[in-house]
Amino acid sequence: MTQASNNASDRASGDPFLLVHAYCDGELDPANALALERRMAEDPRLAVERDRILALRRAMGRIKGHSVAPPALRAKVERAVGMRRPAVRPTWSAMAASVVLAAAISVGATWSVLAPSGALVADEVVSNHIRGLMAAQPYDVASSDEHTVKPWFNGRIPVSPRVVNLAGDGFPLIGGRIDVIAKMPVPSLVYGFRKHLISVTEMQGGRASPPVRSAGGYHVIAWNAGGVSYWAVSDVELDELQKFVTLFQAAPDTEK
Amino acid sequence: MSDERTRFANVVLPHLGDAYALARWLARNDSDAEDIVQEACLRAFRGIAGFGNINARGWVLSIVRNTAYTWLKRHRDAKVVAVDNVEEVEQAGVDAGGEWASAPASPEAALIERADTARLEGAIAELPLEFRETLVLREVEGLDYRAIAEITGVPIGTVMSRLARARRRLMVQLGRDAT
Repeated sequence: MTQASNNASDRASGDPFLLVHAYCDGELDPANALALERRMAEDPRLAVERDRILALRRAMGRIKGHSVAPPALRAKVERAVGMRRPAVRPTWSAMAASVVLAAAISVGATWSVLAPSGALVADEVVSNHIRGLMAAQPYDVASSDEHTVKPWFNGRIPVSPRVVNLAGDGFPLIGGRIDVIAKMPVPSLVYGFRKHLISVTEMQGGRASPPVRSAGGYHVIAWNAGGVSYWAVSDVELDELQKFVTLFQAAPDTEK
Repeated sequence: MSDERTRFANVVLPHLGDAYALARWLARNDSDAEDIVQEACLRAFRGIAGFGNINARGWVLSIVRNTAYTWLKRHRDAKVVAVDNVEEVEQAGVDAGGEWASAPASPEAALIERADTARLEGAIAELPLEFRETLVLREVEGLDYRAIAEITGVPIGTVMSRLARARRRLMVQLGRDAT
């Protein structure tokens, strides 16, 4: 990195304007950055260039929303390399209908008799996530240490969840909490991503369907693994959530 | 899933959004961008065994970039790739008197910042391909000069001058549009 910085300042030494660009891009080492700040203070043309570069960056920041691959493209790619994926997705109206139906049926039904429908779980997962955001803190146990979070669940609920460490990928573990879905306590993990939170709820059994659901600014991605269904919810971009899910699935289990 | 597919899912799929963004800006067309990403993903899948587990994102983006160039040459003739000329012309302009020295008074930063999004997108789309890719790799993908130099296969000095010229063109364009 320092080598790149040196290169940047060496390369630009003949042109103070190029140096201003390198400064705005964080490519100058501290000594060169300091020297340039002095020059900018004396030469308004350089200061104006800096202001324009930063203004342009802010303007470009508003058009960044395109770095999300269309779901159809993801599907095409997965098919092209022969990965499995469900061919048909339920329509919105079908999902809405199943929520109503599931809500009607689940009154009085016990968990063991009838597992809640995926859409119902997705709704409750979002509700729990939002409740977490509005609470004084979004977790019952605060810890970035998976070896603290996992045992915390022991003794509170029958099965402690799969906890993985994704801090190296930019998704630090923040804590865990116990949510309630269809009157059953279930473990949820809370991960951070930039200024956002991602909740992952684990349920014994249950059908992870629909695989992706977005409503009210929240995305839910659901999947099954080893007889367990996982539900990740957040207000981050769908693509970022997908990235998190992919990493979560691939990460090695934490030992007790 | 097979090993290759698991590997592909872990290495390539997390960067699909970034791949699409880059392809979209290079092709300036959503459906062409999808074709490019799909082709790039197939290339990545076939080459996944050779990926050395270092910087998956950079690896994916460089495949997308190279695929886009091949694709554009095949589908849109030579005119999109006539950038070497552009660069020579630009360089001649600089040597002759300096775009830097001559343009300090306008536009104002505030004007640039308020720029209409559609106009800004249009101005970026009008940039010559190699200026555009350098700008997008920096401002949209957030890569540093070294990574951009590696992906585009040019020295860091060239990255710097392309980036500065791309920005300068946008600044002038946005200033002109607003008046």
